[in-house]
Amino acid sequence: MAKLNLALYWASSCGGCDVAVLDVNEKILDIAAVADIVLWPVAVDGKYADIEAMEPGTIDVCLFNGAVRNSENEHIAMLLREKSKVMVAFGSCAVSGGIPALANFKERDEVLKRVFMETPSTVNPEGVLPLTRCEVPEGTLSLPEFYKYVHCLDQVVEVDYYVPGCPPTPQRIWDVVQAIVSGNLPPRGATVGATEKSLCDECKRIKQNKKVKRFYRVHEIIPDPERCLLEQGLLCMGPVTRGGCGAQCISANMPCRGCYGPLPGVIDQGAKYISSIGSIMDVQSPEEVESLLETIADPAGTFYRFGMSTALLRGANR
Amino acid sequence: MTHHKIGSVMVIGGGVAGIQSALDLADSGYYVYLVESSPAIGGVMAQLDKTFPTNDCSMCILSPKLVESGRHGNIELITNAGVEGLEGEAGNFTVKLRIKPRYVNIEKCVGCGVCAEKCPVKVPNEFNENLNERKAIYVKYAQAVPSAYAIDERYCLYLTKGKEKGKDICKLCVKHCKSDAIDFDQQEELREINVGAIIVGSGLSPFNPKDMRNYGFGVFPNVMTSLQFERLLSASGPTGGHVARPSDGKTPRRIAWIQCVGSRDVAKSGNAYCSSVCCTYALKEAIVAMEHVHGRLDATIFYMDMRTFGKDFEGYLERAKYEFGVRLVRSRIYELNEGPDNNILIRYASPEGDIKLEEFDLAVLSVGMKPGQDNEKLAAALGVKLNKFGFCQYPNFNPVSTSRDGIFACGAFQGPMSIPRSVVQASAAAGGAMSVLADVRNTMVQKQEKPPEKDVAGKEPRIGVFVCRCGINIGSVVEVPAVVEYAGKLPGVVHAEECLFACSQDNQGNIKELINEKDLNRIVVASCTPRTHEPMFRQTLRDAGLNPYLFEMANIREHCSWVHSDNSELATQKAKSLVKRAVARVALQEPLYEISLGVTQSALVVGGGVAGMNCALDLARQGIKVYLLEKDVVLGGLTRRINYTMDRRNIRDYLRSMIEEVQGNPLIEIYYGAKINNVYGYVGNFITTGTSLKGDFEINHGVAVIAIGGREYKPVEYLYGKDPRVMTSLDLEEAIAGNSQMVEDARNIVMIQCVGSREPDRPYCSRVCCSESVKNAIKLKEMKPELNVFVLCRDMRTYGFFEGLYQRARKMGVIFIKFTQDNKPRVEQVQEGAKTVLRVTTTENVLNLPMVIDADIVALSPAILAPEDGEEMAKLFKVPRNEEGFFLEAHVKLRPVDFNTDGVFMCGIAHAPKLIDESIAQGKAAAARAMTVLSSDNLVAGGAVSAINKERCSGCRICVDLCPYSAISFNEEFKYAEINQVLCKGCGVCTAACPTKACSTRNFSDEIIMAEIEALCN
Amino acid sequence: MENFEPKIIGFLCNWCSYAGADLAGVGRMQYPSNLRVIRVMCSGRVDPTFVFKALSEGADGVLIAGCHPGDCHYTDGNYNTLKRIPLMLKVLEQFGVEKERVRMEWISAAEGSIFAGVVKEFTETVRKLGPYKRNGLERGGKVG
Repeated sequence: MAKLNLALYWASSCGGCDVAVLDVNEKILDIAAVADIVLWPVAVDGKYADIEAMEPGTIDVCLFNGAVRNSENEHIAMLLREKSKVMVAFGSCAVSGGIPALANFKERDEVLKRVFMETPSTVNPEGVLPLTRCEVPEGTLSLPEFYKYVHCLDQVVEVDYYVPGCPPTPQRIWDVVQAIVSGNLPPRGATVGATEKSLCDECKRIKQNKKVKRFYRVHEIIPDPERCLLEQGLLCMGPVTRGGCGAQCISANMPCRGCYGPLPGVIDQGAKYISSIGSIMDVQSPEEVESLLETIADPAGTFYRFGMSTALLRGANR
Repeated sequence: MTHHKIGSVMVIGGGVAGIQSALDLADSGYYVYLVESSPAIGGVMAQLDKTFPTNDCSMCILSPKLVESGRHGNIELITNAGVEGLEGEAGNFTVKLRIKPRYVNIEKCVGCGVCAEKCPVKVPNEFNENLNERKAIYVKYAQAVPSAYAIDERYCLYLTKGKEKGKDICKLCVKHCKSDAIDFDQQEELREINVGAIIVGSGLSPFNPKDMRNYGFGVFPNVMTSLQFERLLSASGPTGGHVARPSDGKTPRRIAWIQCVGSRDVAKSGNAYCSSVCCTYALKEAIVAMEHVHGRLDATIFYMDMRTFGKDFEGYLERAKYEFGVRLVRSRIYELNEGPDNNILIRYASPEGDIKLEEFDLAVLSVGMKPGQDNEKLAAALGVKLNKFGFCQYPNFNPVSTSRDGIFACGAFQGPMSIPRSVVQASAAAGGAMSVLADVRNTMVQKQEKPPEKDVAGKEPRIGVFVCRCGINIGSVVEVPAVVEYAGKLPGVVHAEECLFACSQDNQGNIKELINEKDLNRIVVASCTPRTHEPMFRQTLRDAGLNPYLFEMANIREHCSWVHSDNSELATQKAKSLVKRAVARVALQEPLYEISLGVTQSALVVGGGVAGMNCALDLARQGIKVYLLEKDVVLGGLTRRINYTMDRRNIRDYLRSMIEEVQGNPLIEIYYGAKINNVYGYVGNFITTGTSLKGDFEINHGVAVIAIGGREYKPVEYLYGKDPRVMTSLDLEEAIAGNSQMVEDARNIVMIQCVGSREPDRPYCSRVCCSESVKNAIKLKEMKPELNVFVLCRDMRTYGFFEGLYQRARKMGVIFIKFTQDNKPRVEQVQEGAKTVLRVTTTENVLNLPMVIDADIVALSPAILAPEDGEEMAKLFKVPRNEEGFFLEAHVKLRPVDFNTDGVFMCGIAHAPKLIDESIAQGKAAAARAMTVLSSDNLVAGGAVSAINKERCSGCRICVDLCPYSAISFNEEFKYAEINQVLCKGCGVCTAACPTKACSTRNFSDEIIMAEIEALCN
Repeated sequence: MENFEPKIIGFLCNWCSYAGADLAGVGRMQYPSNLRVIRVMCSGRVDPTFVFKALSEGADGVLIAGCHPGDCHYTDGNYNTLKRIPLMLKVLEQFGVEKERVRMEWISAAEGSIFAGVVKEFTETVRKLGPYKRNGLERGGKVG
């Protein structure tokens, strides 16, 4: 069997997804045995021209991580789409915007103003903002265009498979690679490397019927390691999040942050979470509700930590 | 001559009590004729704005029952009718009814109201207590059932001036009625109906204070009755819920309520009884008025005794006082006068004897209840005895029977009572009728043959849309042809047409034909509200062999043409949008099936007191096997400690014969020394295990009744347990009955009320203690007239006919002295020489001086406590209790013996403190309610309920506690939640809360609602 | 904005608010035609997803109405509403959506006039707010 041509790319991301690929450890050699890595900017040098020069369909599988924040991200996404037989949105940023998409609570101009003019360590009395083109004596300099909002991959190109996670866990990555190699692929558009049940299904903690009198932030209490975190008032996103990660955060006594995204059929993870925890708040009067809600710091940021690009109110519908 | 029994019952009176009886009977396999004297059922409850103590909207809770009665296949409503005569005997009566013409054809009238709009005759609106006017052709109230209009023959121009002379006067209604429903040829009709039993629930009439001159009612515009004020508060009343005083329409800032108008009043009105409900309804009106004017109101209630004796009423009183600042003034009213600006000046005497004058913007007379106007005539026609007040005279310990076999009574026909008590009596009366007719159950009910259902699985939607003109109701505003054309182009629609009246009989035939002819598999009717018409159209689908759930309505009348009549273009646009929504929705609807489950034909009754035994006997009389669990080794419960009742009936004999009857009944199996270990299952199919003196048991039963009674509080106050002369009222009763020497020797006996009741720890009234003490006091006075009997009380709560006993006791010289919660009597031992004197000191309220009584006996009236095993029982049966530990009914007003969990019922003191007759009635009511489950071999469940896909459920347990019906349970073995289809009511709360979409509500799925949103937005 | 006709979606519970709307009809109380009603059995069925979906589909305002607290036909289903909706409003605000676009009301079966009043007032409120701007739906490349 001919070796696969594999490309890994990072767009607007932290690099964690690439590191996660390396975290398969010695198995990376097995990957190398079955696949030629034709592009992997974080590990191997590569040029736009090299990709441009490829015939369409040269790349068998492209694992694309990171969100689409600017024109360069989009350009490469389109380029890789053209050259790849299978395009995989790899990691939460590519799947649903991820952490970078938290910026979507603001628009581009607000972001630029904040970053280039208002942060305490910035000295920018002239109020200089980045430009896409700038004439200097040496010639024209150009920068990618910074978009109004952060988008996930399928908002700019067609995506064949989704692998959620921030980052996807090495075990799940290995599963995905094996599936690709064996050709044993699920139908197009499927989410791979995550289960069809919520994290609660794999969470080993003791769960009871839920009633919450107040919510806590993680630094405020040391939760009982045996009991459901949500019942203890920690905003664990486990109930609205796909399993498959092996409940790693939970095992470290930390609540789930929701990176594996919503369950199949749920179109808005944050809204669903509001609907669920709204029901288990153990208060009655509007005043009590109000004071209980005071104990939730940044609800939108918490509930949409990884899903802003696909949120009904700010994203595009998948 | 032997009559064969008839499996139908006539219920006379369409108020809440009559409705409840009718529904219970109809649901238990009897055909019911519900006879109402006015054009619509609903009674006084329909006139109320809110109901105490929950401040529920009265119409909200009544209206579903009205609709249910109106469309129940086994209830025939006969309105405008009265009883003329009766022949026959229990099991087979012939009732002669006189039915007055309505002059409107109920079948044809669509309730559009054009006739009333055109009618030129304005008359006082009795439903609004004459606060405004209606027309001579009218509907009693907006939500009336039947919803057809009626012509008031007293006022109609044609009927009063034209008909006799053969002149065609007016008849505008005829001219304008598009459905040809007006029928002046209708004649008074005499109809004979054969029934097996009769229930009388003919209700009450409010006391009319016009003859009590000192109140100025009818003279001063700003004096109104409490029922008028109720209409003023109602959002559907004459002012739209705006509190406006009659003289100038201004919002009153000072309102006074005057209690006991026409109650507890021998002198002026002759009504010696207490009407029982006025104290609490005055509090309610004050609270609600306060809310209406956002607290900017001084509300004052002038009262004699504050009689908030019902379940949760005392807490209501406390809230009124402390949360809402309602001012309560104990007083005697002299007179009301008019002051400047039509204000009302009230002259009254305070308890201290001072005469005071206060000014108010509005005075509300809390009028009492009188027997219904036609009670005497009705009782004569039926041959049942009335008491001296004109209420029903019932036989000993048979609170829902009458003097005639086979005729039962409920509600205010029996005496003044609150809604929940009426509902209890109504169910109990239904149970009485069922007992008489147990062997002819299911013989008269309507059964329908249904054609086989078409299989629509996997088939593309073929939708038929019917757009109704509703005469001119929709057609004159909405451009119906344009809507039809639009509907025809919507995806999935294969047929669209308009109809003049979608609900007409011939259109049902038309729909059925089209379903077959065009192979339609989903139907949309764009007409009026689904709340009233959906069941009928569903039936049409079913008759055509289509699953009834493949139907949806677009409400283009109530929500469109009627409310946008000024803009035809926008209304048409909206109508299109609503039709689009209905089409998008119906395309996704699935056929739903009701499942049929077997019902174990037996009952478990827990508790062998008077309530439990009555319940068990009523069930056994209807052929039901009963397992009666008693934790003690004898039957009788608390009643074993009672020797005589207030009205000197022999309770001992009653109890003995009852126990003998229970023990002798072959269908009742008694387990003494019983303890329940576990309860499994659900309505129709429970399994209860436990131990008893007989050994371990495992009982299969279809229903369970919790009748575990209560306990007497053991006082820590007033030297109880420290001085043998201090005892409880039950101890005193035993001493009296046992002719004890202590009573024999006594000269001064002091009774202290509210010991442990109405206290911060136990903020409820124990209801029976005032009457209990009065009973003992009278007994003592009868035995030894020279004895001094003092009753120290906070309010004397001898409600209903017990008021007569209170009056009698006072006449006999029993001395009643009021004390307050912060100034209670003191009981102490004082050494006087060799003697230890038991000294009671209290403040005499008229003189405001300490009064000292050296008592020979101090009898305390201790609180009645919730049963000690209540918590355990609550866990076993998964049913709730209130803060005081008494069991919590499904609905305080309308489901007083039901739990929210289907198939579990309650009765007796476990529900709340109550008197023996009330416990008996409740026991019977619980039996009747249980029979609605047990009357059929199968339970029908399912339909539009929720279900959990266990493949998707991740076991988070978020939903489990949300269900108020305990329909959701958690499968610990496989870690998923399950919904019991039998218990689920389809509210959909669990579906909204489910984070994984494992849970879905049938035909209210996310997908369907999303499709509706998309249809309406785009 | 004078000519702007807002689109408003209303979720009404079957037992109280829908009946209240019916009563407004029976009473021929006139109110603006902007509201489009979706009937749910209980206001506790309303998932905030529906509200967000409505806004993202082009609604300018959303009304959620149920029985008064304590009056719920299903005992306490509306308490779910009473807790969910305020939390949803907080999130909505963080998204920069005016809170006033979503309104929670308790309307009983007897409160036809209150229903009509709410619709009038709410329609005016939303009309003043102007059209709800859907953000972020454009493809990245085209927004610049």
